[in-house]
Amino acid sequence: MRGDSGLRISPVGLRGIVGRGLTATHFLDFAAAFGTYIERGRPVVVGRDPRSSGRMAREGVVSALMACGHEVIDLGVVSTPVVQHALQRLDAAGGIAISASHNAAEWNALRFLGANGTYLPTAESNELLDIYHLRKFRFVEWDSIGTLREDATAIERYIDDLEQVFDFAALRGMRVVVDCCNGTSAPTLRRIVDRFGLDLILINERVEGDAFAHEPTTSARMVELQLGPLIQPLQARAGFLFDIDSDRVAMADDRGRGVSEEMMLPLLADHLMTHMPGRIAITNLSSSALLEEVAAKHGGRVVRVPVGRQAAMDALAAYRPEQIAVAGEGTGAVMMPQFRFIYDGIASMLAVMTMMRERGQTVREILASYPRYEILKGEIPLESPRVPALLMDLQDDYPDARVDRSDGLRVSWPDRWFHVRVSQTEPILRVICEQRGEAPSALFESLMDKVRSYS
Amino acid sequence: MPREHLLKIGVSGVRGVVGEFLTPSLTLSFAQAFGTYVGGGRVVVGRDTRTSGPMLQHAVHCGLLAAGCDVVDVGVLPTPTMQIYVEHIRARGGIGLTASHNPPEYNALKLFNAEGQFFNHYERNELLDLYHQRDFSQAQNAAIGHVRRDDGTAKSIHIGRVLAKVDADRIKRRKFKVALDAVNGAGSVMTPEFLTDSLGCRLDAIAIDPTKVFPRIAEPRPDTLGDLTALVQKSGADVGFAQDPDADRLAIADETGHVVDNDDVLALAVLRALAVVPGDVVVNLTTSAAIDDIAKTFHRRVYRTPVGEANVVDTMRAVRAAIGGEGSAGGVIFPAVQLCRDSYIAMAFLLDLMAETGQTVSQLVASLPAYTRKSGKVPFAHGRLGGLMQALEEGFPEAEADRSDGLKLIWPDRWLHVRASNTEPLLRLAVEARDGERALALYDTAWKLLTSL
Repeated sequence: MRGDSGLRISPVGLRGIVGRGLTATHFLDFAAAFGTYIERGRPVVVGRDPRSSGRMAREGVVSALMACGHEVIDLGVVSTPVVQHALQRLDAAGGIAISASHNAAEWNALRFLGANGTYLPTAESNELLDIYHLRKFRFVEWDSIGTLREDATAIERYIDDLEQVFDFAALRGMRVVVDCCNGTSAPTLRRIVDRFGLDLILINERVEGDAFAHEPTTSARMVELQLGPLIQPLQARAGFLFDIDSDRVAMADDRGRGVSEEMMLPLLADHLMTHMPGRIAITNLSSSALLEEVAAKHGGRVVRVPVGRQAAMDALAAYRPEQIAVAGEGTGAVMMPQFRFIYDGIASMLAVMTMMRERGQTVREILASYPRYEILKGEIPLESPRVPALLMDLQDDYPDARVDRSDGLRVSWPDRWFHVRVSQTEPILRVICEQRGEAPSALFESLMDKVRSYS
Repeated sequence: MPREHLLKIGVSGVRGVVGEFLTPSLTLSFAQAFGTYVGGGRVVVGRDTRTSGPMLQHAVHCGLLAAGCDVVDVGVLPTPTMQIYVEHIRARGGIGLTASHNPPEYNALKLFNAEGQFFNHYERNELLDLYHQRDFSQAQNAAIGHVRRDDGTAKSIHIGRVLAKVDADRIKRRKFKVALDAVNGAGSVMTPEFLTDSLGCRLDAIAIDPTKVFPRIAEPRPDTLGDLTALVQKSGADVGFAQDPDADRLAIADETGHVVDNDDVLALAVLRALAVVPGDVVVNLTTSAAIDDIAKTFHRRVYRTPVGEANVVDTMRAVRAAIGGEGSAGGVIFPAVQLCRDSYIAMAFLLDLMAETGQTVSQLVASLPAYTRKSGKVPFAHGRLGGLMQALEEGFPEAEADRSDGLKLIWPDRWLHVRASNTEPLLRLAVEARDGERALALYDTAWKLLTSL
C-alpha cells in the first residue's frame, strides 16, 4: 500500500494529495518549521499556483509565518519562478511556493526557498525537517506577531528581469503556440504579449483551480498530443507546453513533432555555451551523454551528480556562478546563470526562441545537426533488501567500464552508458541505457534480465 | 505553584495565551473540527482587535476550507453583531476570535450555530469529542471553497434590530451628551456611528482606534474605568459607556462619573425590556434579587442558572425568556435582538429610559430596589472545596440551599453564594442583603468560616 495516501515528507519539502494524505495541519506545521528555522527581521514571501487547495494551504502558511513573528508578503497566484525572483527584490529572508508543479490537480506541495531564491541546500533542508519532526516551533508572544501585506506587482517585476536578458523586440515576428495548461504561465505570457508584441498564440489560457485541461506533464508525448495538430495549420515555428507553475517546459518542432525532454538541456547548453565558452554544465547521472559532446565543442565540460533537486543545489553551491553555463535534468528542467539558477520554463522557452533567431534555424534543424543518441528506459518494482547485492553483481559484470556509485550504479564507456537507481518518488528501480548511434537494445535487455532476477 | 490556566480546551471552546499555548496549529484543528461538525457550507469568521487576531483568523480559515466550508470574513466586528449576521445570511455557523474581557495576550474561539447562538450543552460536548477524535472532513482539491470578504452589511442589520425595540426619535430629540470608552476594541468600528447617527447623541469618545492595543484593563469594571469617569466629568456628559474588547459587555457611568454597579445596569435593562416584550427573566445565581422584585411588578417569573453566559442562554432558549443576563458580568441578553450578550441594546435601553422618564442615570439607579452587595475571592487548596462547602451549609442550617453551582444559601432578605472560579484556583464569595449591615456581617461570617478551615 505504499504511496497510497500520496504523502511525502522529505528534505525536498512536503508533497501529497490534499485531503487524502496531505492535510491542512501538514501545511501549517511545515510552514511553522520554516518560520522557526529562518531568521526574523526580513520578510518572508509566499506565492501559490492556482490549485483550489492552494487557497486553503495559503491560509495555513500565512498563519504559521505570522505566528513565528515574520512579516509576510503574499504575491497571490504566481509561478514558482516569479516567487524566486521576488525574494531578492523584496530583500526577503526566504519564501514558500505552494505548488505541486507538474503533478495532477489533486496534488499540492510546499517548496522552501532561501534568501537568494534557490531551493534550500541539503544540510539546511535536513535541519528544517528535524524542526518539523520535533514540532518545537518558535511561536512569538502576542505583541510580536507578524503582519501580512500583498504585492500584486511581482509578475511585472519578473518580466522586467526577463527583459534584462532577452531581446524581446528581436523575437517579435516569431510565431509560437503555447499550451498554458490553465496554469501560472498564462498571465505572465499574456502580459509579455501585451508589453512586447510577441506573436504567442496561447491555449488553455484560463487560470483554473479545480481541474486542468489535461495532465500538466511536460513530456514530448503530451506536447505532441496537445500542440501537434495546431502548429502547422497556424504556421507556427514551434510549440511549448508548461506545467502549472511554469518551472518546466516541453517543446514541439515546426512540424508538430514532440521534442524529447532529454534534448532541452543539450540544446540550451549549446546556446548558452556559445555565449559562455569554457564553462561547465551540471547535470545528473541519468541524462543524455550528448551533453558531453556539446560541452566539448565549446571547450567546456560536464559535472554529473546524483539525481534530484537537492544534489543539483549542492553542486551549484560548490562552484562560483561565473564558472557555470547551465544546469539541468533530462526532464527538461533547466537553470541558467542569468536567472540565479532557478528552474524557469518561460526563460527556457525564450532562450530556445533566441537560439532559433540567432541561428536562423528551427529546433528540428538544430537537433538534426547533433549526433544521434538513442536512450532506453525501464522500471521494475523495488525489492529494497536486495538492491545492494544487485548493484554489486552488476558492477562485477562490467569490469572494463568506468563506474560511479554516487547514486545507485552508473557504468559508462566512451560511446554508451547505463544507470540503475532507486526512484525517490515511487517504489521502483529505474534502468536507463543510452548509446551513440544505434539503440543499445542488447545491453538494455541483459540489464533488465539481471534486475528482474533480483525481484 | 500558581494554577494558571494558560490554555483551556472545553465545552465552551478554546481559550489561551497566544504563542506557546494557543497555537495556530491547535486553532486550525479546532476550526476543522467545527467545519466538520457543521457539515460544510458557509461559516462566518470575525474577530476583535487583538494583535493575534489576523494570525489566528488565517488558521481558522485554513481549517474551515480544509473541512470543505466556504468562509465569509467579516473582519473586526462586535461579537453580537457577528452572531446576528450569521443568522441573517443563513450561514451554517460562525467563529468569533475574541477572548472577550481577558487580557491582550489571550485569545479564544467563540463558536456559533446556524442561529448565531451558542451551541447547547450536548452539542458542545459532541464538538469537543470530534476535536479529540481528529476524524475531520478532508476536502479534496475541487471541493475546497472560497474566502469572501463582507465589511458592510452586518453593522446596519444589528443597529436596525436594536432601533426597532426602542423609541429612537425620543432619544434623538434629547441630544444626549455621551462619553464612550471602547477600549480600542471591536466597538470602535461601530459604536460611534451607532450613538451619533442612529441615536442623535453628542459623542465624546476615547479609545476608539481599532489598530491600537487596549489602553486599560480589558474588563470594564469600576476599578478599570478611571479614564471614563474623568471624561464624563470633563465633558459634562449625561452618561458614560464602556465596552469590553468584543463589545458584548457594557459598563455605565452616571452623570457624575460614578461607575454604576453591573447588577443595576442589568436591572435597568430588565425594567425596560419587560415593558417592551412579554416573557420571563433568566439570570445566574449570583445576580441581584432586585431582578426578582422588578419581575414581580410585571408578574413575570425569574429563572436562576449556574454562572456562565452559555448556561443563561440555554435556559433562556428553553423558557423563551424576554430578557436575561449576568449581573456581575455586565451582560444584557435580549433575544428580540439576538440571544447573546449585547452592549448595544443595553445602551439603547438606558437612553430610552432616560428619554422616557426625564431622569438622570443616578436618579434611575436610585429608583431601583435597594440592596447592599459585597463580593471577594478566597484562595483554596486542591481537594478542600467539598469540605468548605459542607462547613458553610452546616454553619447556616436555617437557610435554603441551592447546590446547582457551588453553594447558594438563601434567606428571605439576603443570600450568600460561593463557587469555584473556572479560570483561577479561587473561591468567589458573594453576598447580598436588603440591610447594609446584615450584608457586611454575613460576608464577614462566611469569610471567617472559609479561611479558618
